[in-house]
Amino acid sequence: MEKIIEVKNLFKSYGDLSVLKDISFSVEKGEVLCIIGPSGSGKSTLLRCLNRLEEIQSGDIEIFGTNLTKVKNINKFREKIGMVFQLFNLFPNYNVEKNIILAPVQLGILNKHQAAEKVGELLQKVGLEEKRNVYPDTLSGGQKQRIAIARALAMNPSIMLFDEPTSALDPEMVGEVLKVMRSLAESGMTMVVVTHEMNFAREVANRVIFMADGYIVEENKPDKIFTNPDNERTQAFLSSVLKPLDS
Amino acid sequence: MNDYFSLLIECLPSLLAGLKITMIMAGASLILAFIVGLILAIFALSKIKILEIFYTAYVYIVRGIPVMIFGLFLFFGVGALLNIKFDPLLASIITLTINASAYLAEIFRGGIKAVDIGQIEAARSLGLGYFRTMALVVIPQAVKIMIPPIINQFITTLKDTSILSVISVRELTMNSQIIIARNYRPFEVYSYAAVMYLIVIVLLSILAKYVERSLQHGKNN
Repeated sequence: MEKIIEVKNLFKSYGDLSVLKDISFSVEKGEVLCIIGPSGSGKSTLLRCLNRLEEIQSGDIEIFGTNLTKVKNINKFREKIGMVFQLFNLFPNYNVEKNIILAPVQLGILNKHQAAEKVGELLQKVGLEEKRNVYPDTLSGGQKQRIAIARALAMNPSIMLFDEPTSALDPEMVGEVLKVMRSLAESGMTMVVVTHEMNFAREVANRVIFMADGYIVEENKPDKIFTNPDNERTQAFLSSVLKPLDS
Repeated sequence: MNDYFSLLIECLPSLLAGLKITMIMAGASLILAFIVGLILAIFALSKIKILEIFYTAYVYIVRGIPVMIFGLFLFFGVGALLNIKFDPLLASIITLTINASAYLAEIFRGGIKAVDIGQIEAARSLGLGYFRTMALVVIPQAVKIMIPPIINQFITTLKDTSILSVISVRELTMNSQIIIARNYRPFEVYSYAAVMYLIVIVLLSILAKYVERSLQHGKNN
């Protein structure tokens, strides 16, 4: 398989505080990689390095075979990498349709006519056709996140990055967002997902990375990680998050 | 009571002439201050050290000096130093422009900073460049945040015009004093002036509310 993301010996720090230490991994085309780990382990920072929302101090990130740190026109590059945020970050001054088509129309990827068609198609995909003309403040959290996914998809990205997409949602809305992500995965999208949804990681991911303290502690197939992790820290983390509340 | 209104009618032409100058002072200063304030805010957000320092110094100095002292210093002090006689209206417009520009610059800077960083990240992650992100995402949201404090500043500057009666601008306050010097009726004349300021400011506030409401959701986009 073709490697679409390749990270080698990545280091990242904020001043004296080093947050990512010697990170190396790769993602193949069509693969779903889930990154799990305790808060503050550097998962989100790592994800944000992949579209250069964060700059790195050393190491290499190659995406589509191009070294990300040497890319001159980062905007052009980002068009191919969709990102979904924990807090949705929909544009409150635009309605749903405009949120979705703003970037592709501005950047000349879709003309007005194509854009209108694309909006219909994407809203159908995320199950929100009737919300085309409403403003984000009238949507529930789960609806906002589905629109945010549609907005990212409108750029026709080759990679989708998800930064804890369900962490800010009420529990009853998590399912609707995961369902959209699952069908996206089934359609062959390359996805990197930072998540606390262990069941999603277990069922949908091709591979899971467990991070702690800025390191990749363990990387493996989900079956292996969730049933028989090699590392003690992974075991400790998983037994704490998977433990039923009443035990 | 009859007397109160007949005196008003007598004074009205002179008061209205003063009000006109007040409006010119406030209007001209605010337009100029808006431009200067925008440039200053760009300095503040430029991430260029020297411009940031200039901005900070400007804001601190202007905010730290009372309008009256600034006006007196410019009109009498600088006038004497350069041996020129400033036009009082010009001196007062310069004073109010400098004063209001510092406050407006802070409002602009604060409004832009108040837009959630996540908005910028979302726009940038879609491939929109810095200027498009600012123009399409940040500024429309910042404007909504800025409108109430901008209106406040307009009202403040409008009222500050009265301070510049000390450099003999023939605005509303000065004209009231001139009338009073002739007729010794301070109770009546100052009350006329007060009500005139009040009417203008209430009208401005109503306009502000209207603008604010029409910008909900930025529906003009």
